[in-house]
Amino acid sequence: MSALTAPKSPAGVRHGPARGPATDGRAAFARAFRRNVSAHGFLIGAVLCFGFFSWYPMVREFFLAFQKTEDGRTVWVGLDNLRYIANDPAFWQAWRNTLLFTGLALLLGFVVPFLVAVLLNELRHGQGYLRLLVYLPVMLPPVASVLLFKYLYDPGYGLFNAAFGAVGLPEQQWLQSSDTAMLCIVLASTWMNMGGATLIYLAALQGIPGELYEAAELDGAGLWRKIWHVTVPQTRLILSLMLLLQIIATMQVFTEPFLLTGGAGPEGSTTTVVYLIYQYAFSFNNYGAAAALGLVLLVLLAAFSAAYTRLSRAGDEG
Amino acid sequence: MMISSRLRTTRTFPRPSAHRRTLAVAAAAATLATLLAACGTSSSDDDGGDDSKPAAADAGAPLDPKTKVTLTIDCMPPATKAAELKEWKEDVAEFNKTYPNVTIQGKQTDPCLEPPRFTAMLKAKSQPDVFYTYFTDLQQVLDNDGAEDISAYVNDKTLPALKGIDPGVMDVMKKDGKQYGLPYSNYTMGLLINRKLFEEAGLDPNTPPATWEEVRTAAKKIAALGKGVAGYGEYSAANTGGWHFTAATYGLGGEVVSADGTKAAFNDETGKQVVENLRAMRWDDDSMGKTQLLKWGDLQKQMAADKLGMFLAAPDDITYMVQNLKAKYENFGMGPIPGAKATLFGGNDYMIKKGSSPDKIKAAIAWLNFKFLTPGKGQFDWARTKADGLPVGLPQPNLFTGDAKTQDDATRGENSTMPVENFKAFMDNPVPGKAEPPKAQEIYKVLDNVMSGVLTNKNADVAKLLSTAETQVNQVLANQ
Amino acid sequence: MAAVEIRQRTLISPAQLARRRGRITYWIVLALVLGLFTVIFLGPLYWMVSGGLKSTQEVIQTPPTAVPHTVEPGNYSDAWQLMDLARLLGNTLFYAFGALAFQLVFDVAAAYSLSKLRPVFGKVILGAMLATLMIPATVLIVPQYLTVIDVPIVERNLLNSPWAIWLPSVTNAFNIFLLKRFFDSIPRELMDAAAMDGASAARTLWSVILPMSRPILGVVSIFAVVGVWKDFLWPMLTLPDPAAQTLNIGIYSLSTGVPLNTLIAALTIASVPTLLFFLVFQRNIMSGLTAGGLKG
Repeated sequence: MSALTAPKSPAGVRHGPARGPATDGRAAFARAFRRNVSAHGFLIGAVLCFGFFSWYPMVREFFLAFQKTEDGRTVWVGLDNLRYIANDPAFWQAWRNTLLFTGLALLLGFVVPFLVAVLLNELRHGQGYLRLLVYLPVMLPPVASVLLFKYLYDPGYGLFNAAFGAVGLPEQQWLQSSDTAMLCIVLASTWMNMGGATLIYLAALQGIPGELYEAAELDGAGLWRKIWHVTVPQTRLILSLMLLLQIIATMQVFTEPFLLTGGAGPEGSTTTVVYLIYQYAFSFNNYGAAAALGLVLLVLLAAFSAAYTRLSRAGDEG
Repeated sequence: MMISSRLRTTRTFPRPSAHRRTLAVAAAAATLATLLAACGTSSSDDDGGDDSKPAAADAGAPLDPKTKVTLTIDCMPPATKAAELKEWKEDVAEFNKTYPNVTIQGKQTDPCLEPPRFTAMLKAKSQPDVFYTYFTDLQQVLDNDGAEDISAYVNDKTLPALKGIDPGVMDVMKKDGKQYGLPYSNYTMGLLINRKLFEEAGLDPNTPPATWEEVRTAAKKIAALGKGVAGYGEYSAANTGGWHFTAATYGLGGEVVSADGTKAAFNDETGKQVVENLRAMRWDDDSMGKTQLLKWGDLQKQMAADKLGMFLAAPDDITYMVQNLKAKYENFGMGPIPGAKATLFGGNDYMIKKGSSPDKIKAAIAWLNFKFLTPGKGQFDWARTKADGLPVGLPQPNLFTGDAKTQDDATRGENSTMPVENFKAFMDNPVPGKAEPPKAQEIYKVLDNVMSGVLTNKNADVAKLLSTAETQVNQVLANQ
Repeated sequence: MAAVEIRQRTLISPAQLARRRGRITYWIVLALVLGLFTVIFLGPLYWMVSGGLKSTQEVIQTPPTAVPHTVEPGNYSDAWQLMDLARLLGNTLFYAFGALAFQLVFDVAAAYSLSKLRPVFGKVILGAMLATLMIPATVLIVPQYLTVIDVPIVERNLLNSPWAIWLPSVTNAFNIFLLKRFFDSIPRELMDAAAMDGASAARTLWSVILPMSRPILGVVSIFAVVGVWKDFLWPMLTLPDPAAQTLNIGIYSLSTGVPLNTLIAALTIASVPTLLFFLVFQRNIMSGLTAGGLKG
């Protein structure tokens, strides 16, 4: 975070009485009161927004998950909504798919940008151009990129099968097969999003002191060992933060499958948890089920984040 | 325009619940009593219902022409549809000749209904006095307590064409015997064909295939044209695959859900025939193109670009292709759904906001009657439609039966702006309409997997796909 | 920047590169990387531009053509008219910069208050805000949607109004976190000095804190704008009216209803403004992003 801290002022001279000599208690109270009023005045806008659009919905999710509205009446239904989603044949499939997506996205979306950054960092020519290329897709409207990929993936008139055919590879079904659909979604998503992560890693790589590599070389380390023993540990903090962010982001994947395979995909192979929430709420008008599934995802992700932060903190200390 | 109704068919459906069904009998009896009281007795009879609202006693009487009332109503044509808007205004003016004190305040909503907006509107109870819904929306409206029961207001006097309206259509807007809406338009599904490709493939475009064997043979010939042309196309995503599976199954006389609505009923010979036929066309004949996971809108694009020979569709898909995809009416034809035992239907209607005064309800019914349900008037004034440069001749809306239908078809034919003979096979072989199954969207979601399975997996096991779907649909139906 | 500075030592040692074999390997790798990256990142874009020029039939023909047989620039004008790009882009910018303004005002004020003014319950409030970081937005999509269509207390329906985008965008805990961390690092003495001069809290924020905070404000601004630019599900639900739609939703709506070649042309057109913007300001954007990069 070094880039994000303000310059330190010359220390030493202490300006003014931060804690002045004790004055009369009432004046102190009045001052504290005034300070609090103005402090809360600064806070009020954000707090109201959080209240209405974040905290209240969070509480409401709990309520909705245990309620049902029928014939204009809202009633408590206990665990009915949870039972409903657990009995939905798509429930477990959606979780499997989401985890598969997250796993693939980590393999590709997490490792690839890092390796690309390491590679680019070594190049002494054309780096500006390459960085531009990698970042280009990030600037496209996401829906435009996704729809472009849908066109490229088409097994009939798409570019990919034409290219495969040209070099003598067998034609693929791409998005149209339950075996490859999820992988294709991840590939498209990686193409679209890797630019941001690559640039962040590049910046981190440039902060690694060269002497460390020299020292490693003196120990006779080869290329991979240098990456493993110098590059990775030196960027560990940023890597671990990006990993967490990426897992949270990929668990909520919606746009790509929604646009590429119509949501469910071949034999339901791209149905994700968030797509299921969307279906419950906006196709079946079953807000109770949608909230219940949202609640499950919420609890899981919150638990995961907490455990992850704790573990990585323990790792830092250990 | 009903374009979005197809998009919409892919959502919402009544969730029948057990406790409600037990109430049904009592409610139906009560309604019947009200109806009898309303129709059979004159308003002077005050012994009748002392508990009912003062005006309810004469609910069955038509609107008093002197009544002063303002009605808000949505789905008025937008400015971009100049001709339709002009007709709307003319109709309001003519309506006001009879009812000078009724003010019709139209709201331009384009498209007429969008699911998130509709949901929001019901939740916030901000719908206009008379509001547009799809046939499949009734339960959602009732869950939000959004519509008035108008049973007592609907009769031969307030709705002279009532006898001629297809009772199946009227039933869609009924719940527990109570009427909640009046139809605006409807469609029944058939087999849409591309005449140009039929001719190129040496097939007769005037006799569309009537059975699935014929569809398969024709598809093979059309696909043989090459250059990415597919003979037959089918959906398999966004719940539209399940929707079409249902349509095809109905066509063969099959059922998707048992009569009591508790069990899946498609895992039988009929269901197998539907899926097996698709498998053969997709993989043995390769006549369905490589691109699958299609949803509403995709097949239309292919057909408008002369890359697709046939698919199951409603007549207004043709309008959609002409208006949005630059296709020509002459290029298309329609036949009845293969098998022709029954056909899936759908449509849209208007409901009246809960809590409206009896005068408002009467005025609303008078307006809906005039604008949408009178042969030769309003939307059925075909001579005017033609004069305004709008298309005439599609077999939709198809609200009437018997004499009313014959009469309407005749004027439609006289004023047609397109070669109606292309739809002759569809018109001459009317197939009885059949509504969507309960929990339609949830079932369609499951059936999508059958469709995407058979269309994307070469080695798909048809029997297994169907039995898995059967288990899952049973689960869905049992899941309350 | 890198061109001027003396290059820092990286993974591969300069000695190794200086050798003949090292040099050859380097040039081969460079050529491969340049070629491969160009194909991977520009190939799809070429396919997009050329696809938009093909005829309705050609664009869905199997096998596809590498170069359009019949060039139909008319697709682009059709797409332009159908899509009304100017309006969609205008809407998106309106939402994005509105969200930016709201975040700059509310989030900066909140971070300032939490960092420097330390009100009672400040810790609790900060904790409650940061807790939302653990809970991704989409999980709350349903209750949030139900809240927006009928905001409690004020009883307003925000559907189709820019407020539905702006106000929820303020609940960006990550930005508040970044801002607060930055403000924390500003020495207290500067504040005290300002207080000595009789400056109010607002005055101090304006004339002491903000001028020092340019880098972080830049980062937060990029996050705020990109957040709105990339969003799909939320604007799809809350802005159903075609006149109020964002670029993403406009393209999506269009995708169901026009021939493929027109759609591809529309995708191209929609990509042009931001690509141009990016190419012109790439230096600033890149350095802004890397400055925002959290170094390990």
